[in-house]
Amino acid sequence: MDFALTDEQQLLLESVDEFCERYFTEDVVKQMYETHCMPDEIVEAYRDAGFGLMGIPEEYGGIPADRVTIGLMIERLYHKSGCMHILYQNSLSMFDIMEFGTEAQKQEAMEHYLETGWPIASLSISEPGAGSDNRSMTAVTKKQEDGTYKLSGQKTWVTMGSVLPYTIVVAKDEDPSSDNGSMSLWLVKMDTPGVSTAPLHKIGQQCIPFCEVYFDDVVLTEEQRMGNSGEGFMMLMKNFEVERAYIVAEQVGLAQAALEDAAKYANQRIAFGKPITRLQMIQELLCDMEIKVQNTRNMLYRTLWMMDEGQPVQLESAMLKRYGCSECFNVANDALEVYAGLGYTTEVRIGRLWADMRGNMFGGGTHEIMAYIAGRQVAKKYAE
Amino acid sequence: MRIAVAFKAVPDSQDVQVAADRTLDFSKAKLAISEYDKNAIELGAQLADEAVAVTVGGSDIDNSKLKKDVLARGMARLCMAADDALAGLDAHATAAALADVIAKAGDVDMVLCGDGSADDYAQQVDVQLAEKLGWPVVTAAAKVEVSGSTAVIVRALEECKETVEVELPAVVSVTPDAAEPRIPGMKDILAAGKKPMEVSGADGSYERVLDTVECLAPEQAARKQEIVDAADDGAVEKLAAAIKAAL
Repeated sequence: MDFALTDEQQLLLESVDEFCERYFTEDVVKQMYETHCMPDEIVEAYRDAGFGLMGIPEEYGGIPADRVTIGLMIERLYHKSGCMHILYQNSLSMFDIMEFGTEAQKQEAMEHYLETGWPIASLSISEPGAGSDNRSMTAVTKKQEDGTYKLSGQKTWVTMGSVLPYTIVVAKDEDPSSDNGSMSLWLVKMDTPGVSTAPLHKIGQQCIPFCEVYFDDVVLTEEQRMGNSGEGFMMLMKNFEVERAYIVAEQVGLAQAALEDAAKYANQRIAFGKPITRLQMIQELLCDMEIKVQNTRNMLYRTLWMMDEGQPVQLESAMLKRYGCSECFNVANDALEVYAGLGYTTEVRIGRLWADMRGNMFGGGTHEIMAYIAGRQVAKKYAE
Repeated sequence: MRIAVAFKAVPDSQDVQVAADRTLDFSKAKLAISEYDKNAIELGAQLADEAVAVTVGGSDIDNSKLKKDVLARGMARLCMAADDALAGLDAHATAAALADVIAKAGDVDMVLCGDGSADDYAQQVDVQLAEKLGWPVVTAAAKVEVSGSTAVIVRALEECKETVEVELPAVVSVTPDAAEPRIPGMKDILAAGKKPMEVSGADGSYERVLDTVECLAPEQAARKQEIVDAADDGAVEKLAAAIKAAL
């Protein structure tokens, strides 16, 4: 079993280090959390370095990369920048458009990305009454006599929904009742009459704006459909597994940053005449933090490797999301414990990392729904 | 225009360990492009029609990652002499060995160097290389513009900026302001492995004129761990007195 990185992977990580060192200065990060956005300069530099093009098909200007390499890039990006920014999540909607979009949608999305560095669309999936319980979704499109469709409904937790020019909406076909499992994906322009947004305020991840999106009889045409009619949720599900793994890559990068901060602080902090790293209770905290980070990393890269090999990962990706997001959050919690009172101030970044990482326990599916997905798989795996 | 950019492979300073007797242990340090040379590499990539990276060193510099790293930074090809006979050369011998590598790289209009190496920072190779090649040398170049067979160079000196014009070919060493190094993207990194890399041994023996007698890290003072409680009366005065006493 070879855990060594290739030359190219090592050089990629060094480039990510250079990128983060140059652009994510302390002042810039502070400004991002105050203004709830990211400077265009960083987004453009990220595009120019090609990080956001990794995994997008070459024929559209993308760069071939396996999932392990993309995971390595994401982990390092969040480790070295030390904040929960939007850069990687930007790619998720681009992947969906590249996989399910029409030729015209793909071309427009790439032109927009290459021109601005921002993805063309946000993702409108969750609703106030329907998250993982997707059958309860009530957003619906109804076909009109003139061949157009009317979209009605409300979506929530739409990351960058009020900033990006389009949103990808999953909506039921014709009938909003829970009996109907037929859903489709639509690429909706945010300035279409009937589309409006309302901001939502978070307790963490404040540099990533998100909002509610309302659709009030929004007229859609057939050209706005993505993929086959009725298969909308199955299409999104297809990408959920890799998205969960990438969220864990972000989370383990942030956990590594928290661990390093805590260990450095513990080496410097003098109590009872000696650095607190000589106190066994602090040693236990640091040891367990390292175990959690290494365990998560091992699960992450094994899962990504399995995906690259074309193996099914329904169980592995759910276990990874459940274990990785919660245990990495626990690393941030333990780091806060090491800092004690100082960690609860805004003088150091650990409190910010702690709040940011708590959010990743919800994004991409909650801790509990992961147990629901994985538990059934485990039962099936060992059934006689 | 073809430009040769000289760079040095140095131990990554993050991996250098200082022993108790202040000697430096390089055994765990990976080789990396000397930090200041990255500015010369970037300027070369921007100015040249064909930029050739050149270097000399021990056989360990024939390292696939190091070679791809320099080629991912805008260099069209790489010429290196990697031979244990070339390990740890002084500036005099390095300049002579580099002159031989540059001769093999083909005709070049300019040789760019960094401000100094990240390990020794002797700032000697540029001038001694120019002497070997019989070319003029311009140091401290903060801006370089080429027009035909001449280069107009702005030199950043301590108290002024000096603009000079030099006939090419010439050796030019640049300050960190000359060009901000690019961040190699995945495309650059993937393309680097496909670019030409010419690796040769030592062409001869090169005379060393400098012997390093000793190389020690600066002395470290132990922390006194004197803590002044801000709540105590006269805490500021106590702190000021402690600082004065330490100075």
